Amino acid sequence: MKKLSLILLMVLIAGFVFAGGESEAAGTYDENSVAAKIVKGQSLSDSELLALAKQESGDFIAYGNSSRIKNAVTNFVKKYGAELGLTDANAAGTKMNDTEIFTTLFQESVGGSAKSASMVMIQDGAQLQIYRNNSNMFENYIPGAVSGKVAQNDLVPLVHQYINKLFIWNNLGNDVPEVKNVWKLTEPSMKDRVFFKNPTTEQVNMNFLIMCTSDEWAGKLAAAYKDYYGKDIDLGSYKNAGYKWVAEFLANCNFSISSDTTICQTMAKADSAGNIGLFVLSKFRDVDASIKGNLTVGAFTEDSVKPFAGFMYPLYAQITAKAPRPYTAMLFINYLMTEEGFAPWGGPGTKIMGAYSSSSDIGASEGDQPITFWKNCLVAEDANFIMVNKASVLDFVNAAISKK
Amino acid sequence: MDKASAKAPSLKKKLFRMRDFFSSPANIILTVTVLVLGFFTLYPLGLLIVDTVTVNISDLLYPELMGKKVGSFTTFHWKRMLLSEMSTTYFWIPLKNAVLMSLLASIIAIVYGGTVAFLITRTDIRAKKFVSSVFIFPYIMPSWTIATFWKNFFQNPEIGNFQSGMLYYLTGAKVSESFVYGLVPCAIVLGLHYAPFAYILIGGILRNMDANLEEAATILKATRARIIKKITLPIVLPALLSTFLLVFSSSMSAYAVPQFLGGTKGFSVLTTTLRQFINSGWFGQGYIMAIFMIIFGLVILSFNQYVTSSRRSFTTVTGKSGQISYIKLGIWKTILAVIIVILCLFFSFMPLVSFALESCTIVPGDFSRLTLKFWIDPGYPQNNGIHGLFYEPLVWSSFKNSLVLSFACAFFAGTFGILIGYAVAKRRGSRLAKLADNLAFLPYLMPSLALGAAFLAIGMKTGLSKTMTLLILVGAIKYLPFASRSGINAMLQLSGEIEEAAVIVNVPWWKRMLRIIFPIQKSTFISGYLLPFTSCMRELSLFTLLSSGSIYLMTTLLEYWQVWCDQSANALNLLIVVTVLAVNLLINKLTGASIDKGVGG
Repeated sequence: MKKLSLILLMVLIAGFVFAGGESEAAGTYDENSVAAKIVKGQSLSDSELLALAKQESGDFIAYGNSSRIKNAVTNFVKKYGAELGLTDANAAGTKMNDTEIFTTLFQESVGGSAKSASMVMIQDGAQLQIYRNNSNMFENYIPGAVSGKVAQNDLVPLVHQYINKLFIWNNLGNDVPEVKNVWKLTEPSMKDRVFFKNPTTEQVNMNFLIMCTSDEWAGKLAAAYKDYYGKDIDLGSYKNAGYKWVAEFLANCNFSISSDTTICQTMAKADSAGNIGLFVLSKFRDVDASIKGNLTVGAFTEDSVKPFAGFMYPLYAQITAKAPRPYTAMLFINYLMTEEGFAPWGGPGTKIMGAYSSSSDIGASEGDQPITFWKNCLVAEDANFIMVNKASVLDFVNAAISKK
Repeated sequence: MDKASAKAPSLKKKLFRMRDFFSSPANIILTVTVLVLGFFTLYPLGLLIVDTVTVNISDLLYPELMGKKVGSFTTFHWKRMLLSEMSTTYFWIPLKNAVLMSLLASIIAIVYGGTVAFLITRTDIRAKKFVSSVFIFPYIMPSWTIATFWKNFFQNPEIGNFQSGMLYYLTGAKVSESFVYGLVPCAIVLGLHYAPFAYILIGGILRNMDANLEEAATILKATRARIIKKITLPIVLPALLSTFLLVFSSSMSAYAVPQFLGGTKGFSVLTTTLRQFINSGWFGQGYIMAIFMIIFGLVILSFNQYVTSSRRSFTTVTGKSGQISYIKLGIWKTILAVIIVILCLFFSFMPLVSFALESCTIVPGDFSRLTLKFWIDPGYPQNNGIHGLFYEPLVWSSFKNSLVLSFACAFFAGTFGILIGYAVAKRRGSRLAKLADNLAFLPYLMPSLALGAAFLAIGMKTGLSKTMTLLILVGAIKYLPFASRSGINAMLQLSGEIEEAAVIVNVPWWKRMLRIIFPIQKSTFISGYLLPFTSCMRELSLFTLLSSGSIYLMTTLLEYWQVWCDQSANALNLLIVVTVLAVNLLINKLTGASIDKGVGG
C-alpha cells in the first residue's frame, strides 16, 4: 500500500510538473506576432496579402468542424497554389470535431511546429468564447472586403456561415406528421417518432435545447402553447415553458440513428411514413432523387412551424495565435468569404441547400431561402447565453434523457 | 579503519554488483523496459489524474469555477461526479450498466468460446480445421462492425428506426426491441467479439492437458459428466478466470458497441458518458471515469495474477510427447458441427456480406436496387466528389499509411514483446520482472483517447508532432501488452535446458535468441506481431488527434466518410476488414502463425 501511494504521488508530481510547464508557455505578444500581422492584414487587399503570403514557408493546415473544409483548401490551392508554393502535399484541410480542434490547438499553442494549423473553423461558439477569453490560442481576423456586408454581431468572432437544422417529415401514408406547432411533437402520438441526434453526442443539438430555455424562446413557446391548446401553459415544476418543451420533446425523441445523413436518408424511405426528423437541410443532397419527394420541409410549408421551424448555428473562422502562415490564412479567409470560396458549402449556382454565408454578397442556393428568411423562423445560437447556462441545462437534459 | 576506507569497499562492492547485474541481457532489458515504459505510461496517467483535480479552460463554464485560474487545484470534478445530485445520472447508472454489460459479455464469451474449444480439442467433431480458422474472425473484425450487422439484421418496422432489417425482409419475423437495442444485445455482441479469447485460452489448456488423468477416471468407470466436473473443469479453471477477467476488462472500455446499439433511448455506460464530457471539453470529469476503468482493470489484473500464480509453470515444450483421447460424439459429431459452422458463418461472414451489399445500394438499406458505382465509377460526381473506391486517391494514400503504420507498430511492439517475454521469463518472480510485466500491460487499460492526448503533448515537446514516428511510437506502446503477453507465453513454454546447453558452450546471447529461441517458438512469436498489426489497422481514437492535418489513415478516412456517405464508408470498412483478414491468412499460410497462438501460446 505504501508503494502504491508512493507511485501515485510520483505520478501526480510528474503530471503537475508537465502540466505547469504547459500553462506557463502560453503565447506572448510582440510586433512579429500573428496578432500584429492581423492588424496589418485587415487593411490590405488580396494582392497585397498574396505578396506577403508568398514570403511565408511551410505547410498550410486548416482544421474545421465541417467535412467541406478539405474541398475549400483544395480549391484555394488550385487558385493560389502556384504563387504560394502550395500543393496537395503541403496544404490540407482536415475535418475534426470541436474538442479535437481545441485539444490539438492547445498543444500546438504550447509547442508550435511548422505543421501546426494556421486557421480553424469551429461550431461551438460558447466554448470558443471561453477559449478566447481565457487563452491566447485564437486571433480574430475581419477581412476588409466584408465591411458592411457582414452583420455587426457576426464580426467578432467572425462567422463564416450559418447552417440550419429543420423539422422535415415523411409525407407518405395516412398518418403524416404535418407539424404546424412544435407542441405537437410533445404529444403521446409522436412517441419515438421524432428522429434527432442524441444531444449528449451532438453539441449543436444541445446548444439548441439550451437556447429554448432562454427567456425569449420560453416566452414564444408559452404563446405557441396557448395558440395550440387554447389555454395558458401549466408549468408544474418547470422553470419556464422552454424547460417544459425540452423535457417533453426529449421524451418523444428517437436516438437510434447517430448521423444526420442517415436520418435524412431513412426519413425519405417508404418505411418511414409517420416519422419526422430534426436534421441539417444540407443532407438533402445525399438523398436519391427517386425518393426525395417523400420529404416535406416544415419551413417551406404554408404557415410554417410555430414558433420555430428548426434552428441554426454558426461556423466561426479563426486564425491560430501560432499560425505558421498567418498571411496565407488571411488570404484563405478572404477567399472563403467570396462566392467562389463558399461554393463547397453552397450558394448561388449550386444546388446544395442548408448553408448560408454571413456575407450579404452571397445569396442562397437554388431552391433555398436567404439567411434573412431563416433568421426570422429559426432558433439562432447566442454563444453568450449558452456559455452562462450550458452547465445547468446540460444537467437538465441528461436527467430528462435518463428518465426516458 | 577510518570511515572513508570503510566506504570504499562498499562502493566497489556496489559497482561490482551493478556490473554483475548488467552482465545479464535479461536485466538490461528489464531495466530499459521499466525506464522507458515508466515514462510513457506513468506520464500520460499523471496527466490524466492531474486533469481531474485542476481547472481546465472549458470548466470555467461552471458557475462554481467561474473566475478561477486555469490550472489551479480543485476538488469540484470529484465531488460533482461522485457526490452531487447528478452523480446517479452521470456516474452510478453508467457504472451499473457497464458492469452488467461486461459480466454478461464475459459469461457469453466463456460459454460460447469455451464450448467450441472443448468440442474442437476434446471430441471427434467434424470440420475442426474450418471452425478453428473461422472462429477467431469476430475478434479480428472491429466490434462495431458486428454491432452494425446485428442492428441491420434484426431491425424490424416496429422498433428502433422502424426500418426493415434482413431477417424481416427475408422471413417477416420480428424480434423484440430489447434483443436489438440496449443491455442484452450490447453484451451479446461483445460476448461474440471476445469469444475467441475463451476459445484460445481454454482451448490452449485443453489441448495441452494430460490425457492420462481422464483415462484413469474412465478405467475407474467414472461417467463422462463426472470426469468433466471433477477433472476437466478444475484444470481449465485458471483459463476460465483469465478469460472472464480479460473480457470483463475489455467490455468495460468498449465505446462503439453501446453507442451503436443504444436504440431510441440511448444506453449509457462509463465510456459513453466519458465521451460526452470530453466532447464538452470537461476533461476533469471525463477522466474520473477513465480512472475508474483503470482501477477496475488493475483490480482485475491483480486478481488474475493471484489466481494464476498457483500455477508455477506450464512448460509444454520439453521434448516429451503428449497423447489426447477424443470423446466419441457418434451422430452428434455431424449435428454439432453443422450448428457451429452455421454460427461461425453467421457471425464471421455475414457482416462482410452485409457491408458488401450496403456498399452497393443506391438508397442505404434498400436492397432492391444495387449499383457498383461506389466501387468502380472513376468520375462519380456526387458526395463532395468522392470517386469510386478503386479510383479515390485518398483511399490509396490512407491505405499505404495504415499499412506502414501497422507493420511498423507490429515490428516494434512484437520485437520488444519478445525481449520483454524473454527477460520476464528469465527473471521470473523478481520484483523487476513483475514491475516490467505490469508496466507493459498498463497501456491496455488506458483509454485510447487519453493516451492520444498525452502523446500529442509529448510530440509537441519533442518536435515529433504530426509525424509518422509519433504514431508508430504510441501504437507500439498501446499494443505492447498483446506482444509482451505473447512473448511471455512463448518463453514460459520453453524449458530452460534448451538455452542452457548453448550457454555452456559460450554462444553469445543474440545468437542464442536468433538461432535457438526464435526458431523454436517462431509461430508464437510471429503471432505476437499479428495482434498489434490487427489492432492498429482498426484503431481510430488513439490516432485521431495525432494524425490530424498531416496523415490520413483508413480509420480516420472512414470516420470522415461515415458522416455523409454510407455506401462509400461501407466499402472502405469492407476494405479494412478484408485487408486485416488477408494479412492474417497470408502470415498463417507462410509461417503457420496465427492470432490464437499469440494469445494462447
